[in-house]
Amino acid sequence: MAIAKAERLMNLALCLMNTRRPLSKKELRESVEAYREAWQQGSEDAFNRMFERDKDDLRELGLVIDVDENALDGEVGYLARRDRNRLPEIALDAEEAAALTLAARVWQQAKMSGAASGALQKLRAAGVPFAEEREHGALEPRIPGREAAFEPLLTAARDRRPVTFEYRKAGAAGAEPRSVEPWALECWRGHWYLAGFDRDRGSARVFRLSRITGKVRSRAGAFTGDVPEHVDVRAVVARFAGEGATAVAMVRIRRGAAYPLRQRALDTRPVDADWDQLDIPYGNGLGADLAEYGPDVIVIGPEDLRADVIDRLRAVAGLAEVAQ
Amino acid sequence: MSNAIDQTRRMLSLVTYLRERPGAEVAEVARAFGITERELIGDLNVLPMCGTSFRGGDLLDIDTDGERIWWHNVDDVAQPLRLAADEATALLVAARAVAGLPGLRERDRQALTRAVAKIEDAAGESAESAARIGVTFEAEGTVFADIDRALSEGRLIWLRYWSHGRGELTEREVDPIRLVTEGHTYLEGWCRTSEDRRTFRLDRIAEIKVLDEPANPPRLQPRDLSAGLVAPAADDPQVVVEVGPGGRWVAEYYTHDSAEELPDGGLRITLRSAEPSGLRTLALRLGRDGRITAPPQLAEQARTAALAALEHYRDGQVRTT
Repeated sequence: MAIAKAERLMNLALCLMNTRRPLSKKELRESVEAYREAWQQGSEDAFNRMFERDKDDLRELGLVIDVDENALDGEVGYLARRDRNRLPEIALDAEEAAALTLAARVWQQAKMSGAASGALQKLRAAGVPFAEEREHGALEPRIPGREAAFEPLLTAARDRRPVTFEYRKAGAAGAEPRSVEPWALECWRGHWYLAGFDRDRGSARVFRLSRITGKVRSRAGAFTGDVPEHVDVRAVVARFAGEGATAVAMVRIRRGAAYPLRQRALDTRPVDADWDQLDIPYGNGLGADLAEYGPDVIVIGPEDLRADVIDRLRAVAGLAEVAQ
Repeated sequence: MSNAIDQTRRMLSLVTYLRERPGAEVAEVARAFGITERELIGDLNVLPMCGTSFRGGDLLDIDTDGERIWWHNVDDVAQPLRLAADEATALLVAARAVAGLPGLRERDRQALTRAVAKIEDAAGESAESAARIGVTFEAEGTVFADIDRALSEGRLIWLRYWSHGRGELTEREVDPIRLVTEGHTYLEGWCRTSEDRRTFRLDRIAEIKVLDEPANPPRLQPRDLSAGLVAPAADDPQVVVEVGPGGRWVAEYYTHDSAEELPDGGLRITLRSAEPSGLRTLALRLGRDGRITAPPQLAEQARTAALAALEHYRDGQVRTT
């Protein structure tokens, strides 16, 4: 039976960490039984591919592996120097440790969740005083990550690799290819967004991850544009979500109705026994927010908002051609 | 079952941990690493096969009797390892997000902020990519603080709550169970008024009182939230919505059973709802971007509501009667 991957990785890590001189691939093949098997039963190629993948995996796990010319047999050698791999002294008190434990639990995305618990395990092994019993807090912040594009984009942004993907713009009938230099990811109101440089459009763009269809492919080559020091994804997204409005709408709302709209009001004053008049910030998407409440809301102005809401209502009432 | 990467990561930390603790108890180590005893025993079966030379017999001599763990040839290779870029990123992004959670107890926020600074320090350049990811939680500060207090003191809560499904403010008594934040913050509790478990979005709470009466929620299995916070029940009535390209967002915001592509770039979305009449608002919101096709009564309700709303604007007048 083939030797399990975790055992093979562990053996490679121990060999590289235990040596004071670089070990050549040939030496590692002698020491790590799984490589010996792959080489004997497979081929030189099979072993090489396996070794390269394993080395990448260990690097992902944080191991710094140096490549050196000075192996005994004159070939390229590898080693993980102790001084470069040691966790620096870190003094966390019990309260700080408890706070980190809560934080490490928030990831719902498998890879990030694994990485966060891996970080805690390293800290715990280094002597950080985490409480043994898992305290079940009554507060559960969660960072979602259900979008398939999340993981490849995160890696691409980290390694500064350009990517391509198919993207369906809001309201577009189909997806179209985009070529992007990914800068930053931002999670807002439970949804992930990517900010980056759109190569075809020659400027910065924000993409919503749930609208990326198909695979994210990473491209060879470097970024062509500079990565800005600070990327405010949230401000861009908030503008589309109707925040940062500059105009004010005047609407009437039936007493007791449409609480979420009332919350946004700048001013509320009674009109008569049944209706209030409200001033509400007028930004993108307000028409849909108002139409939702049907006969409980009347738009007084501005005129374009009023026309928009009437138009929406006519469509639902079946009085307009529905564009389908 | 964990994957090979996570298992390797864990075993590397495990040897460092065991080095300092001869005769460590299996149960305690499993708890410390957040794994089951079975998983730990699995790791302990692999470790004696690991070392610097299989043929030379240079292997970790770690064994267990099922209760305690012994390492007979401890060496100094098991030093604490530096944090990987992804590990530092995952921890720092999460810690910063939680520290920015409005309503978090000040003491916890300060502890977290101190911890973040120390981790950044220890992680060095591994911490750099954490700056490329941001997470913002929305939580409504004052309501949050009241619920947090009710939870820690174990007290009943009275709410005036905007029911989106019914389109009205309702009054309820709730035994609080926990606060869950994913985008928005939600209170999960036992609603005494409806005698059922309910989830309340904090920004829809119009008024809150922490009552003197002690909370006494029935013992419930923690809900599995992996499919989303608002999960419909299997026997909830089915609703079919057909949307054009401009209404595709429905599939992103509503947990649904299926979303079938339509030739015009739209979707036919089948979902279930405990209160289908609440979806009348969805039909009104969609306007020309979509319509409800089943059940027919629901489509009719939306049409009637739209006609009633249009009455207000007849002849270019505003009518409030």
